[in-house]
Amino acid sequence: MTDSQSSVLDRTAERLAAATPVPLARKVRGLSDKGLAWLFITPTMLLLLAINIFPLIWAIYLSFTNYRANRPNEIVKNVGLSNYQRILGDQDIWIAMQATAHFVFWTIALQTLIGFTLAYLIDRKFRGHAFWTTVILVPMMLSPAVVGNFWRFLYQPQIGLFAYAVSFFTGISPTEIEMLSNVHLAPWAIIIVDTWMWTPYVMLICLAGLRSIPDYIYEAAEVDRASHWRQLWSITLPMALPFIMLAVLFRGIENFKMFDMVNLLTGGGPGSTTEVASITLKREAFEKWRTGYSSAFAIILFVAVFGLANIYVKVLNRVKNR
Amino acid sequence: MAEVRLSRLSKSFGAAAAVSGLDLTIADGEFVVLLGPTGAGKTTTLRLIAGLERPDAGSVTIGGEEVTARSPAERDVAFVFQQYSLYPHLSVYDNLAFPLRSPARRLPAAEVDARVREIAGLVRIDHKLDSRSTRLSGGEMQRVAIGRALVRKPSIFLMDEPLSSLDAKLRADLRLELKRIQSDVGSTLLYVTHDQIEAMTMADRIGILSGGELVQLGTPRDIYTSPANLHVAARLGNPQINLVEPGLIPCQSVPRGTRTIGARTEHVEVEKAAAGAAANARIDWIEHLGDQNHLHIAVDGRRITLLADPYSGFKAGDAVAIRLREPLFFGADDRRISHG
Repeated sequence: MTDSQSSVLDRTAERLAAATPVPLARKVRGLSDKGLAWLFITPTMLLLLAINIFPLIWAIYLSFTNYRANRPNEIVKNVGLSNYQRILGDQDIWIAMQATAHFVFWTIALQTLIGFTLAYLIDRKFRGHAFWTTVILVPMMLSPAVVGNFWRFLYQPQIGLFAYAVSFFTGISPTEIEMLSNVHLAPWAIIIVDTWMWTPYVMLICLAGLRSIPDYIYEAAEVDRASHWRQLWSITLPMALPFIMLAVLFRGIENFKMFDMVNLLTGGGPGSTTEVASITLKREAFEKWRTGYSSAFAIILFVAVFGLANIYVKVLNRVKNR
Repeated sequence: MAEVRLSRLSKSFGAAAAVSGLDLTIADGEFVVLLGPTGAGKTTTLRLIAGLERPDAGSVTIGGEEVTARSPAERDVAFVFQQYSLYPHLSVYDNLAFPLRSPARRLPAAEVDARVREIAGLVRIDHKLDSRSTRLSGGEMQRVAIGRALVRKPSIFLMDEPLSSLDAKLRADLRLELKRIQSDVGSTLLYVTHDQIEAMTMADRIGILSGGELVQLGTPRDIYTSPANLHVAARLGNPQINLVEPGLIPCQSVPRGTRTIGARTEHVEVEKAAAGAAANARIDWIEHLGDQNHLHIAVDGRRITLLADPYSGFKAGDAVAIRLREPLFFGADDRRISHG
């Protein structure tokens, strides 16, 4: 830098310093970079602490008590681990966990299979593929409450389109197709709706994975005489696998705590056949008002999801770094 | 091993013609380099031969068989791409074995193994067979890519600027290796580049492409000493050929119709001005490249660039006498006019 240049810079700095109001300048000058960073982060941190961390700690505390939210004046007793012991021995809880596992497994299996297939087809870039992508994405953009409500209508045995369509193809009388009130059909009814709604999401992630595979890899494979099947198995699937696994993770976590849609469609019924964990939790907390007990259950669910997700992310990273 | 024959081959992308009416025959076992600037149609020509593109018109014949309508898999060609087109989730070994494990081949595992190890030795990657292909350096990746092309023993090899993404030293090494491998295997090889050194050092014959057309085809020596036109002359030679109008620099005999004279270093005699030789030019400045110098010489307001020995003793500002010695003459249509 020449002398004239540096003197220009000096003068500019001086002018800037003069133009800044003295009190502000003094305050800002007093702050280090680190101090400034804390200044910006603190409000968000406080908000997060208030609405996320505090309730979590409070729930952990409650899980060791016999507190009931509908009897605020009763003396709260510390009951130690007895809430946890009762949950792990509770038959109903295990039935709920089984229902959840059934729901999570089948929704993930179907959504991954259909989602990947759709992504694979869309990725062929046929005429109008942009239009069809948008059409496929519509269910995902709806509110779960809306979806729950209109599927209730679709599932109506007398007037519902679903029952009508099934009877049209199978010849079974539509009044016998009671998707939401039949013990055997109800678990599948919620799986169908969830799949209908969230397959597009899985498709979108898979599509991102497929688009990340460069064309020349396929061209090299074609010159190397790899059939389309072999290209799918030895190029497309392995290279898109991290994305597919990510979609499975998102859907798994989401469906493990699925509440809104199931609550609207079946409310856990008939009986408790579709009573997934979150519905049980709601019943324990806000129908039976066993706040301490349901807090303990919530903590168990949280630890389970958190632990499983962590293991899964480790595996995912290993797959990604191959 | 096979002969490749392209006849009247044309391909356009939208309104832009990438290749138009290309005729080219590559003899069995020949190393042909297609040289041309970006957009000249070199890559498209290769892709047409490989079957990765379908021509709009014309035909491709490999080993006497018309293959224009066939898919890449049915053509028995190997292609090395400019990018390292390795299968990233596979090891070096599996990358090399990939073409051999095609269900269409049904090679026994022992033979696949033997072939992979033989080729790995040939491209000098045998110490890294178990590495993930993504863990290799650029040069190693491209060696694997070349190995994957070799392993199948196809009838022809097509290489699309395989060395362009490597650094200068690696490029020089691999250039030698490629030439060695090609002469070992004795295969037909069509190689695309815009690097004249690659073309000059490796090719049996060079094809100069421009605007989708083959401008000249010949041995490197031919192309260099008797370029068909100004375009070809300008593609080869470093520093670039000096183009001057007749009369600017003294020359013994200029054929009729000459509009431009092409003068490379060897066509210009430079002498320090002395009593015997009157100065007609001046050395403007000298670029020191290390092993040699570039002399920038001002002649009548024009500037020409010549190569010189670093010990030639010229200094910037020296007055010199220059004259032409059997330069290249080009007519009004830019074609070369042969002397006499």
